[in-house]
Amino acid sequence: MKQPNLRKLMVSMVTAATLTAGTSAYAEDPIRIGGIYILSGSASTYGEFAQKGIDLAVSEINESGGILGRDIEMIYEDSQGKASVAIQAARKLVHSEDVDALVGLDSSGVAQGMVPTMPELQKPLIITHAATPDVTGELCNPFTYRISVNVAQNMKAAAKIASETDAKNWTTIGPDYSFGHQSWEYFGDYLKEINPDVNLMSDTNFPRFGAEDFTPFIDRVMDSDADGVLISVWGGDLVNFVRQASNRGFFEKDLELMFTVGAATEVLTALGDRMPEGVHLSTRYWYDAYDNDINKRFVKAYIEEYGNPPSYNAEGAYAAIYAYKQAMEAAGTTDGPAVAKALRGMTMEAPNGTVTFREGDNQAMVSPNWGISGPMHPEHGIRTLTDLQIFDGEEVARSVEETGCKL
Amino acid sequence: MSGIGSALLNSLDIGLLLFIIAVGLNIVFGVLNIINFAHGALYMLGAYLAFTLINLAGMPFWAALVLAPIGVAILAVIIDRLLLRYIYDRDIADSLLLTFSVLLIINESVRLIWGSGIQVVEPPSLLAGSINILGGSVAAYSVFVIVIGLVILAGLWYLFNRTRIGRIMRAASLDRDMAEALCINTRLVVTGVFAFGAWLAALGGVIAAPMRAVDPGMGDKIIIESFIVVVIGGLGSFPGALIGALVLGLIHGFGGRYLPDVNLLLPFVGMALVLLFKPNGIMGRSTSL
Repeated sequence: MKQPNLRKLMVSMVTAATLTAGTSAYAEDPIRIGGIYILSGSASTYGEFAQKGIDLAVSEINESGGILGRDIEMIYEDSQGKASVAIQAARKLVHSEDVDALVGLDSSGVAQGMVPTMPELQKPLIITHAATPDVTGELCNPFTYRISVNVAQNMKAAAKIASETDAKNWTTIGPDYSFGHQSWEYFGDYLKEINPDVNLMSDTNFPRFGAEDFTPFIDRVMDSDADGVLISVWGGDLVNFVRQASNRGFFEKDLELMFTVGAATEVLTALGDRMPEGVHLSTRYWYDAYDNDINKRFVKAYIEEYGNPPSYNAEGAYAAIYAYKQAMEAAGTTDGPAVAKALRGMTMEAPNGTVTFREGDNQAMVSPNWGISGPMHPEHGIRTLTDLQIFDGEEVARSVEETGCKL
Repeated sequence: MSGIGSALLNSLDIGLLLFIIAVGLNIVFGVLNIINFAHGALYMLGAYLAFTLINLAGMPFWAALVLAPIGVAILAVIIDRLLLRYIYDRDIADSLLLTFSVLLIINESVRLIWGSGIQVVEPPSLLAGSINILGGSVAAYSVFVIVIGLVILAGLWYLFNRTRIGRIMRAASLDRDMAEALCINTRLVVTGVFAFGAWLAALGGVIAAPMRAVDPGMGDKIIIESFIVVVIGGLGSFPGALIGALVLGLIHGFGGRYLPDVNLLLPFVGMALVLLFKPNGIMGRSTSL
């Protein structure tokens, strides 16, 4: 009984092989772009946001003639938030799916692992979310670009705002991995530079990522001399943190509070009016911050399609697809090294204004959006941001020498 | 309230919630000899059902506290009859694999049904905000968690030591063949125990929902904690679950406050120490249930 099965299997394999060989022979194949995001498990909401942004960009571009006359086809892979899985996914996308370019990455750890493999794959990668400074720093390479704000940019802006407050004793509450620690290091360094008198407290608080109960850390800060707190807790942890903090009366104390990813729409949606008013909130892109036509069109189309305003992750992913359109059209080809070269130093129009990939480190010169939480938005059901601040992208970036990137 | 006082209260709050969840894991292991990887997923289901009943169906929190765990227990009966009953006599590794697959199915189903976003459940107005005890303010909900934890603790002690059902469960855990020979319907016991374990997990989920974000990752977070509790306390042991949960509660409550630089490490140091000196956990397997 076994032999006929084996034969059947071989026949179908041969058929499948001929079919795939057949399709790749067509000249007008779609341009294939691989997306690697967290699509399952706890942080999958971030991958879904990215997919929404990308799908919107792809349908817009395909409806208006595609890239070089060819449609875009997206192929997604789940990184599961793990570097090893993402590296495998990238290899599979490049070698078996014949993608021309890659977008993705939600986690700093994944980015640090995957970026060094990009020169071997000879395809460009645009990072749309992961924020570790390293991938456009020491780990940089000619195939890796980032269109979203990194930790260093966000913290330089945060330090400027912090230096204008009355707070003198600063501490932090952040997740106990590179993101939390790097946020505090960059923030402290920049703040000291502007205002050498501030006291960076040695009593810092780094609860485990996914700690569930933050009360011991909240109590600790409330009992300390701190009058300024940098909070880099994010996602579901931030929702927990805010609710537990308000239960403990944390927001009634006279503290200067800076939430480094507090204006993420998924967090604001979950919290509603439980997010206190009058605290500093940042996000890598705030949908209401930019008054240009591209942003108006993007926000309108996004709300029409999905029912709520776009998160920063959707915007980064959306803009990355347009970056590829411009680069591929400039290069006149989809060849990996040529497209990567076209991205170098490229300037484009995106929802968050004019964006330039700096030649020295391939980091987009973009600004975080800081504001102060205001009244609830009547339609969107989330807090509005008042006193919005958009910084000059060059000004909040590290100098190329500081990044340690040598291209 | 003094720092030590609020750290202690916080430790009890964290520890007793962990106890409710981990004791379910331990009872299932003790009687059925399976390590239920899906226990955290059942906890998450309890929280999501509570979210549905409270936020979408408009029920009061107290109704969800009663109904959601029952709903999850019914699902557990289905899982038991459909899948688990085929592997009770097999090696323990098979149960690990099967319950792990149940975990994956529940996790992704939750994502498909409720989406991947973060949901928030309000505590009942009675338990919102802080109250004053012993001259200091504490979160009212923490007091509620501690009280309900003690009620469950007392209830379980009574069940195992003073009731016929409890004795049957202990008998089945010691020697299932002998129990069967004594005309105990072990099949019913087995299904009942699995459903009871799921009920405890889901009860933990409902209690956690008003204090913790309800998201598709909450089950994975709690299962790791529960395993640490079980390793510290002793696999399959009822008092072990209590001791393990309280130890881990103290580690979180005091560690977060006084040793924040090493708080990530402490639970695992505790676990390693117990494994070195008491390889079967503080209460060992010999004192099962």
